[in-house]
Amino acid sequence: MRAAWRVFELSIGQMLWSRRTIFMALVVGSPVVLALVARIVQAAGVAPLRVNGAPLDAAGLFGMLIWILYLRFIVPVLGVFYGTALIADEVDDKTITYLFTRPIRRGAVLLGKFMAYVVCTTLVVLPSVIFTYFLIVPVREIAQSFGSLVTDLGLLALGLAAYGSVFALIGAALKRPLVIGLVFAFGWEQVALVVPGYLRQFTLAYYLQALVPHAAPSDGVVALLQAISTGPAPSASSSLLWLLGAVVVSLGLATRAVERREYVLEQ
Amino acid sequence: MSMAKRTKLFLAGGAATLVVGLGTGLVASYMGLQGLTVLGGGGPSEFAYVPADSSFLAYADIRDVMDSELRRRLTDLQPAAGEGAERFRTDTGIDLERDIDYLVAAASAPEADASGDAAMPGPPLILARGRFDQVRLEGLIRDRGGVVEDYAGTRLLVQERLAVGFLEPDLVAIGTPAGVRRAIDTKASGLSVRGNDELMGIVRDIDDGDAWAVARFDSLTTARLPAEVVAQLPAIRWFSASGFIGAGVEGQLRVETRDEAGAEDLRQVIQGVLALARMQAGQHAGLGDAVNALQIGGQGTTVSLSFSVPPELIDVVIGMRSNEQALWLVPHVVPGLLVTPIPGL
Repeated sequence: MRAAWRVFELSIGQMLWSRRTIFMALVVGSPVVLALVARIVQAAGVAPLRVNGAPLDAAGLFGMLIWILYLRFIVPVLGVFYGTALIADEVDDKTITYLFTRPIRRGAVLLGKFMAYVVCTTLVVLPSVIFTYFLIVPVREIAQSFGSLVTDLGLLALGLAAYGSVFALIGAALKRPLVIGLVFAFGWEQVALVVPGYLRQFTLAYYLQALVPHAAPSDGVVALLQAISTGPAPSASSSLLWLLGAVVVSLGLATRAVERREYVLEQ
Repeated sequence: MSMAKRTKLFLAGGAATLVVGLGTGLVASYMGLQGLTVLGGGGPSEFAYVPADSSFLAYADIRDVMDSELRRRLTDLQPAAGEGAERFRTDTGIDLERDIDYLVAAASAPEADASGDAAMPGPPLILARGRFDQVRLEGLIRDRGGVVEDYAGTRLLVQERLAVGFLEPDLVAIGTPAGVRRAIDTKASGLSVRGNDELMGIVRDIDDGDAWAVARFDSLTTARLPAEVVAQLPAIRWFSASGFIGAGVEGQLRVETRDEAGAEDLRQVIQGVLALARMQAGQHAGLGDAVNALQIGGQGTTVSLSFSVPPELIDVVIGMRSNEQALWLVPHVVPGLLVTPIPGL
């Protein structure tokens, strides 16, 4: 663990002050900007917040942002871009030799980088959720929705860890991990969720969505397909267990892959 | 090697944001800020007359509704409707368009009868704020066999099943004699519906509309539906509705379920029905817009369905109605000409 901590200290700065951070800032900043615009429009009394012409209350709007922006886009996309890069970036930059020649276990390198990823992304994403929440939800409604906010923060942190660990495994074990990761996050996960049967149980989104305290947005055909094909949602406890299991198993397999794989650096 | 200073600063900033945000939320939930809401969220002053065990509570801003564009257009469509209001004004001296500001209605759950079955609920207590001609109302009720009595310093006009109490110079209570007397007792005791935290919590969420109503679900269903049907209904505790009336109508229907699993099941059912309705309504532009305006929401044990009836849709309905009336007129205007009216055209 000490070795992993040293790698964490080294990696967190590299991760924060890289060009990828600009992308992350844009991604997590967009809900805050949207919330700010909604607040200004609301305060100016120009028009109430609406979806398809219907008035939407503050908690409803916040829940929609959690579903559509954070859960379906931001968490998977950050998981893909950061998780697959944990090892792959070092290989591409040909700097992995420097890490692997240190007197530490190779697995500690992956664990340290994964910890850096989790800390870096949660400390950027969760404050963005907090800002969005306080911009949208009026003070008088905080008492009713605060429990949901805490649940949201917890499930987003767990989602970042789960997606990050799966993509860390992909990055450690496969070539072209970014492409495979994008196909997994925005192809497999989306399709498997609406296919009748048990396939959805092999997605992370299935378990994450079961933890969301807000109503799912109803978006026509997709909602109909989900309503037809989806059986009872898994319980919160089983969802937590499956997600934590996914983190542990993925990290274990990723560590094993890093320990055993021979990385050939292209000249 | 340790972290760079700017990295530490960034991490500390992120952590501090989380701590401050969660701390503020915690304080708002359990200490001071919720109290601010309570101070401003006690509802109309008439709530002081509403008993704490009420299972139904409703409010209507009559002035807003009467002044609305929608009401004006509906009146234009059915001019005969004004005759009833005029007759009411002649009898009571109350001009519905000007004299009543707003109404509060309340009812308590009916008690079970000797056989254990729930009784049908009686008429609600209605509290009307406005300007009333007390002498004229008193004369009207006396003419119909009513008597005047004094109850705890309040003048009551009592018939067999109806009583009118002049609670304040511009506040009248209408209901059963027992109901009106209980309202007076409630005000005197101070044990009003404002002490019913569960009901008031829901009221605070919806009381920004022109009209709203909250009811305990079992009080709506138990006495009216067979036990077999009630057993099949989802585990709903409260039902509420609120609406804004302007040129169109915007509103929200809301239910509070007993547990989150029940709420989730209900959301999924509504979501499926909405999606099906959207697919069916795709061929009809007007209907499609109305269905698209339905939006499901809520969190935890709350399930809500927002809707909007825009002025354009009301125009379509009014247009259909006008066409229908025109077609119905043709056989009468042109005797001998056989025209079959097409409803809905």
